[in-house]
Amino acid sequence: MKFKKTFSDLLVNPKRTFLVVFALILGIWGVGTVFVSNFILTKDLNTNYQRTRPAQVIFHSAKFDELNLQQFIDLPEVETAELRDFSLHRIEVYPNVWIPLWLFGVEDFEKINVAQVFQETGNKIPEAGTLLVERDGKKVSNIDTGKEPRIRVGGKILTVKVSGICFDPAQAPATQDAFIYAYTDMKTYSQITGLPNNQRLIVRLNNVHNEADVKKISDILANELDAKGITISSVEIPRFNEHPHQWQLNTLLFLIGTIGLLAFIMGAVLVSQLMKSVMASQVRQIGILKAIGGTQRQVFQIYVAMLVLMGLSAGVVAVPLSVASGNAFSYFVAGKLNFNILTTTLPHSVYAGLMAASVLLPILLSFSILLKGTRISVKEALSDYGISQNVAQREFGFLKKLSLSNSLILAIRNSLRNSKRLTITILAMALGVAIFSTGFNVRQSLWNLLSGLKNEMRYDVQVALNNPISKEDAMQWFKSLDNVKEVETWVGGRGEIQSKVISTDKGAGIIALPCDTKLLQLRINKGRWISKSADFKVVLNQQAMAVYKNPALGSTLTLTVGNKNVNAKLVGVTEQFERAKIYVDLEQFDAIFNPDHLVNTLIFVARENDYSKVIELKKEIEKSISKSDLHVLYVMSQAERVKIIYDHLNIILTSIVLLSFLVLVVSAIGMASATGINIMERTREIGVMRAIGATPKKIYSLFVMEGMITSWLSIVFGLLISWPLSKLAAVFFGNLMLGKEAILQSAFSLSGFLITFAVTILFGWMASRIPAKSAIDVPTHKALSYE
Amino acid sequence: MNHPILSLQGITKEFRSKERTFTALKNVSLSVEKGEYLAITGKSGSGKSTLLNMITGIDHPTNGTVQVNGIAIGGLNESKLAKWRGQNIGIVFQFFQLIPTLTIRENVLLAMEFVDVIPKANRSKRVNELLELVGIASHANKMPSALSGGEQQRAAIARALANNPEIIVADEPTGNLDSKTADSINSIFSSLAHSGKTVIVVTHEKNSALKYKRIVNLLDGEIENQNPLN
Ligand SMILES: Nc1ncnc2c1ncn2[C@@H]1O[C@H](COP(=O)(O)OP(=O)(O)OP(=O)(O)O)[C@@H](O)[C@H]1O
Ligand SMILES: [Mg+2]
Repeated sequence: MKFKKTFSDLLVNPKRTFLVVFALILGIWGVGTVFVSNFILTKDLNTNYQRTRPAQVIFHSAKFDELNLQQFIDLPEVETAELRDFSLHRIEVYPNVWIPLWLFGVEDFEKINVAQVFQETGNKIPEAGTLLVERDGKKVSNIDTGKEPRIRVGGKILTVKVSGICFDPAQAPATQDAFIYAYTDMKTYSQITGLPNNQRLIVRLNNVHNEADVKKISDILANELDAKGITISSVEIPRFNEHPHQWQLNTLLFLIGTIGLLAFIMGAVLVSQLMKSVMASQVRQIGILKAIGGTQRQVFQIYVAMLVLMGLSAGVVAVPLSVASGNAFSYFVAGKLNFNILTTTLPHSVYAGLMAASVLLPILLSFSILLKGTRISVKEALSDYGISQNVAQREFGFLKKLSLSNSLILAIRNSLRNSKRLTITILAMALGVAIFSTGFNVRQSLWNLLSGLKNEMRYDVQVALNNPISKEDAMQWFKSLDNVKEVETWVGGRGEIQSKVISTDKGAGIIALPCDTKLLQLRINKGRWISKSADFKVVLNQQAMAVYKNPALGSTLTLTVGNKNVNAKLVGVTEQFERAKIYVDLEQFDAIFNPDHLVNTLIFVARENDYSKVIELKKEIEKSISKSDLHVLYVMSQAERVKIIYDHLNIILTSIVLLSFLVLVVSAIGMASATGINIMERTREIGVMRAIGATPKKIYSLFVMEGMITSWLSIVFGLLISWPLSKLAAVFFGNLMLGKEAILQSAFSLSGFLITFAVTILFGWMASRIPAKSAIDVPTHKALSYE
Repeated sequence: MNHPILSLQGITKEFRSKERTFTALKNVSLSVEKGEYLAITGKSGSGKSTLLNMITGIDHPTNGTVQVNGIAIGGLNESKLAKWRGQNIGIVFQFFQLIPTLTIRENVLLAMEFVDVIPKANRSKRVNELLELVGIASHANKMPSALSGGEQQRAAIARALANNPEIIVADEPTGNLDSKTADSINSIFSSLAHSGKTVIVVTHEKNSALKYKRIVNLLDGEIENQNPLN
């Protein structure tokens, strides 16, 4: 019977019950989605990556022919090792569009045991003279099994057949970096490239737990190899056990974590508010239950049973929803980051955990309210004097002085009458507003960074050569270009691939350029730009600062390039979305490292520089190159570079705005429910107002006015909160995306502000409109008898 | 007639608010024998409801002791008090106070469930008997809102009797009913008293008071006279 009461109580006020269940669904859904996608993604990206058995250290040497590989593998430090040729070329992805080709030569596809690739379609092992292409490349090209794309190796062009598509989840996705990864056997590799085999040894180590361990052991190994006459020219240590785009996943997980937490808080606040209102309306009944002999425990049980029922029904909806949305999000991210979702079924414990949370959370959230509500004494519950309502009965005299209309005064007083709830509502909504507008501001910061990039790089097309040649040899091919205003020649250059061509022993790329160049105007955060001087001065970007352990301005660093050293003075630090780079005056660089004044980067400035003209110029340059014998690494237009960076950030930018919008919706729902509770509690009052002649329209506008007051207050508070929040977020995302120490300049997005403003007012209006509408639909006699 | 079933001794009840202290009951002593049919009368504000609250343990006296069946109820905690009340006292309210979401039968069953003294197997039968007794057996499965005020009050009496308590108290049980209906409710109380229950009713109605064995008239929180009717 007790539980019959529970059940029928739930049905007595179906709207309120629905609201509670809805709030629960919201909360559980939020937390559940985060939980499920976290569960899947963190595990699966790493599993995908580890499944390839990625190399932990890579040695380069021209003398690996002399290495007894088996003996090397038998060393206690070495788990396993393989020779894996690698070189960079170019591949035609669409007619006259060329992008970098990462070509790998594999020792033995049958026994591949380090940096594995997996068969997708076509051949597992490429037939002699053919390639396997990594699957994400299909998204940026028309290359597929059976096609014969053109490849440019050094100065010559050849066609190679693609005999299969494979999957290599250890690589940064082709879609973001605009690379094609291809794999072939060693013989074909040297046939295509004309390069010697066995220059590169990829190794997995035993008993290493972090990058420092790897560093230590690889130093030992390099020394041992050197001692055997196998001179190691360079050692590469990839990030330890981490996918190259792990940072994107981390950012995304953090984002949805925040949203999930917010949805949860919002749901929690709602549930406890609703339970409070339920308890308030049940006071008299609690009194009766006790008068006829019910103990507090028995009465408590009734309401706990009520919560269990609501929790269960919320769980039934929210758990599958969470699993669905968590899965959907995981697949979305996996698609973007090019890895496979391996978790096909979630363990039962995940379902059980979510379900248990659905049932337990509402009880925990309302425990104190229930305890308080059921503790009330019979006398208090039944007394004609009523229990003292927690209602502010103050006059708010200042309102009178403002000569407002009576109904506005009533609206304001009504808003203030449950000040605790009002505070919670406004805080929740303000938080939504703050996050929404912070989302826009962070987006603006990133945009500023991108447009800053455009400002920094005042050239249009960059041609990067494989190896340095004389300026005259390089320039002769481009004499006839029409739309060219200016050309500069540099050594080294921007982007990842250039770092591979010329970099210090620590892996920071070199960019040697005339210090008075007009074509690169970097934003200097600390210190100043390089200038003509007698000594070797450098500007480092933030990433290079990290590589060199954050030296102080004015200090001296030893740079090693090839087999030469120089002591360089750090004069400035610049902030970039880039690999680690070191900027140095070309004359200084040539004096020490480049006595023959060779160049490997041509910088073109177009006369007419709108997008189509630049792309046109780029095609012209490509045509000139195809007639030449230049060994070209890549040709990239500035516009494309910005696009590539944008593509890296896009997934995050989009998620930020989308998710912030979700937060706002959630808080609007929260507000609607709070208004709903408010109105529900005042149903009798509405009846009275109508009995004394208020038209439904008057009552309706009264509630909408109340809603507007809440929205306005939320906007004000929200924007106040968003200011410091945006600053924090800029620092956070800067660190996450640009590397430690990097600071993303916080920015204010006007359009974001206007959108936030409009959306909040609209939501506030809807949030009060809907419950107000349903309130005036209650007939007067019912409203008057409402308990 | 050995010892009284109910005995109030030197009951004083003060209501304190910030500004002042109001004494609703002043040194009231009263004892009631088993099977008595007692009326408490007095003007509005004279302390009738307050006195009933002392008897039922719903409120506690500032001074004095209340003994029911030899038990001093001041010594019981909230939870024990609720159990004790369910077993020993049936309360009937002016506004019926049935649980609106349960049927009449379920309202009565709920009271039995809470107190758990009537064996489960007997409950259903007992509900039928009680509803029969108060004359609304045919409404057993209706919701309270489908019943008239008089019928609801009968149901409330049935509920008060659910656990077979020794004492029935009612605060203006007929205050909300027309005089004819009120008479029929009063006759239920009087027949309950006949069957051996102790019945205490707060009332305004002078004429129906004639049926009581004894009338206790309150005036400003004091017993003005106790008039045992013969
Ligand atoms: N909780 C309380 N706080 C303050 N004063 C109270 C409280 N309860 C009762 N009183 C006061 O005690 C006096 C007696 O109240 P009580 O309810 O017992 O009167 P009553 O005789 O039942 O009146 P009525 O016939 O109107 O029901 C009243 O003057 C009332 O104002
Ligand atoms: Mg009274």
